[in-house]
Amino acid sequence: MSFLKKSNINFRTIFPFLGLIIIVTLFAILTKGKLFSLVSLRSIMNDGIYVLLGTIGFTFLFAMGCMDFSIGYNMGVSCAVACVVANTFHIYAAIPAAILTGLCIGIVNGIVVTKTRIMPMIATMGMMFILQGGVLIILNGSVLQAPLSMTGMYTNPLKIFLIIIFIIGGYVLFEMTVFGRVAKAIGACPEAVRQTGINADKYKVIAYVIMGAIAGLLGFISLARTGSATNSTGVTLMFNVMNAALLGGVPMTGGPTTKFRGAVLGALTISFLSSGMTILRMSAQNQQLVKGIIFLAAIGICFDRKNMKVIK
Amino acid sequence: MDKMEPLLKVAHMCKSFGITKALQDVSFSLRRGQILGLIGENGSGKSTATSIIASLQQADSGKMFLEGEPYEPKNSVEAISNGVCMILQEKGTFDLLTVAKNVFVGKEEMFVKHGFLDNREMVKEAQKALDVIHAGHIRAEARLSSLNFEDRKLVEVARAIYSNPRILVVDETTTALSRNGRDILYGIMRKMKKEGKSVIFISHDLDEIMEVCDTVTILRDGIYIDTLEKSDFHPPTLRKLMVGREVADNYYRADMESCKNKEVVFRMKNIFCKDVKDVSFELHKGEILGFGGLGDCGMHILGNVAFGLTEPDLGQVEAGDGTVIRNPTVAMKKKIAYISKNRDQETLMVSCSIKDNICLASYDKIAKGPFIFRKDENAFIDAHSKDLEIKMQDTNQYIMELSGGNKQKVALAKWLGFGADIFILDCPTRGIDIGVKANIYQLMMELRKQGKSIIMISEELSEVIGMSDRVIILKEGKISGAFKREEELTELMLIEYMV
Repeated sequence: MSFLKKSNINFRTIFPFLGLIIIVTLFAILTKGKLFSLVSLRSIMNDGIYVLLGTIGFTFLFAMGCMDFSIGYNMGVSCAVACVVANTFHIYAAIPAAILTGLCIGIVNGIVVTKTRIMPMIATMGMMFILQGGVLIILNGSVLQAPLSMTGMYTNPLKIFLIIIFIIGGYVLFEMTVFGRVAKAIGACPEAVRQTGINADKYKVIAYVIMGAIAGLLGFISLARTGSATNSTGVTLMFNVMNAALLGGVPMTGGPTTKFRGAVLGALTISFLSSGMTILRMSAQNQQLVKGIIFLAAIGICFDRKNMKVIK
Repeated sequence: MDKMEPLLKVAHMCKSFGITKALQDVSFSLRRGQILGLIGENGSGKSTATSIIASLQQADSGKMFLEGEPYEPKNSVEAISNGVCMILQEKGTFDLLTVAKNVFVGKEEMFVKHGFLDNREMVKEAQKALDVIHAGHIRAEARLSSLNFEDRKLVEVARAIYSNPRILVVDETTTALSRNGRDILYGIMRKMKKEGKSVIFISHDLDEIMEVCDTVTILRDGIYIDTLEKSDFHPPTLRKLMVGREVADNYYRADMESCKNKEVVFRMKNIFCKDVKDVSFELHKGEILGFGGLGDCGMHILGNVAFGLTEPDLGQVEAGDGTVIRNPTVAMKKKIAYISKNRDQETLMVSCSIKDNICLASYDKIAKGPFIFRKDENAFIDAHSKDLEIKMQDTNQYIMELSGGNKQKVALAKWLGFGADIFILDCPTRGIDIGVKANIYQLMMELRKQGKSIIMISEELSEVIGMSDRVIILKEGKISGAFKREEELTELMLIEYMV
């Protein structure tokens, strides 16, 4: 019994590493080394930054046993708002505009979840539908062009800076602060947290605000990278982030086994997977199919059914 | 058939919950027409043993024989069809259904005609079943929620008797019953005995056991100790066998003085809330205030209200300085701590480590700014858990791997570390073995000496009497009696106020 438990923990700890190694080796072989060329590494960074930043934000929600289905369309709306602001005011005004838009959506999410006690999944799904409509209204159709000078804002040093700041900042916040500890405690047993006089709602709102602000930032990044806001901006974010979190071994039920490194490892895995498949010239539909299968497999392997009965 | 063959034989039964061994190689047998008393301290395995016999849970190993035949019921329905029936310690009825539906729950098909349930017939039969046990004052068509606790228990008795069992298990039912209710139950037991059927009777009340039973079997910490016949019944012997040593005087508090300090640190004013009706009291500095009553008398909700977890409909909870306790955050500002009766669901995060649990209430103290460092956490734990002697591998061990007593110690360490002045302890020794129980009593006395105040809510009258400076008894949500600590206070006296 104790042996089983131990081996279980070990497997769950090594699973994210194992997944990353398998994916990288597999595609390194299949692409005959092209995966590590400068061009593809750059594209991994360009695509991966969305997943990485998104997953880091999502980990705090996951730790609390919460969800945010609206992040993809939040990114879309923030991108559209930023685009409008850049066109009417100044291109630099687009940065705060995007982040603030995302942040406000996060606040609304947080308040709805904590005050109405609607399940986070349902509440944020509602938000997703609202934002889906919102994007269309702001864009007045399908595409809005940003000023050309915007694309110059998004440089490689900035990307690398963002990635490093998010990884370090996220790690410190998650593993070394009161906020991180309480987030895991909420996921482990909300009633115990309440009976310890901790205002769990406050922490949940903060987590939704962080998530929203990150989604907003991603909206800006998307605008600066592509130079336009479209009605499909961000639609794949939610799925990729969920997939990354699961591949990183972040438990959906939250609690103490949530590890920050899981978010980073999972995001890397998904980024390499996407780029690898693109280099292999797989069609977008087939890529989606493969990711879907991996998604289910990851849940199947990682989901701790045995302990569920004991814990909840 | 051989008359000497026991009706039920239990052989080498073992059962563990995690690392807690509830039963270890327990064997005993039950003759025809015998009333067998099963006694032992809390956590000695009485309820576990009987619930395995009634197949509410399965043993890990061991065999049972019914009239010499192997008896291996898969679930309680099979047990009942074998004639083994149990009346539970906890409430086993459905509040929203009528009495009749409660009596015939799971047997509704008896009354199905052409696919429809014949309610009238069901009520008629249920009334007959109630009349048989001399509980005709309960109307079968009444909704169960309109009955008091005692009558609900009698409905359960009627349900059990209707299935005409060969073996009836009565698990601490009598604490819920008044003299009248008890007499009804004793009558049934004697009648069964006369018909050559058998009863297994669990009770905490030794006088009752000695009066009713032919034989007693004693369990201690999950181990079979001895079986005595009626001629050998002798209270000191029984008590010694139950506890395993001469019952020491320092198990509960030895002194008989009550708290002299008049400084009020906490008060409730005319609280109305769900089942609680107009409860007011004051708690003094350095006082242990015990609350006793039946399980549903409202005392557990009172604990919730005291900590601000449940808002009262009317009335006010105040700290000594008049601050109104609205929520747990305010309560904790006033240095109030609360340990729930449902410790594993509400007080502790069982999937987390000991460290996380102890630190949870005190991150304000441990953190430097917003940051938490491992070494500060470890230092904090060392400072507050050492004295409690929690049995653990290290502080990273998960709570779910600990025994009940050690879990309770972790819960206490959490609030000791927090530095609480007022402790609200709801059933602090529930499901805890004797050794740790004594530790917890010791700790309570220590806290009292330091001038901390304790509200102890408990379903065990002996500990309420043994530990409290003052005892308040609740009955159906109202205060029915208040007593100072004194030698003459006995359980029987208090029971009169409970039911």
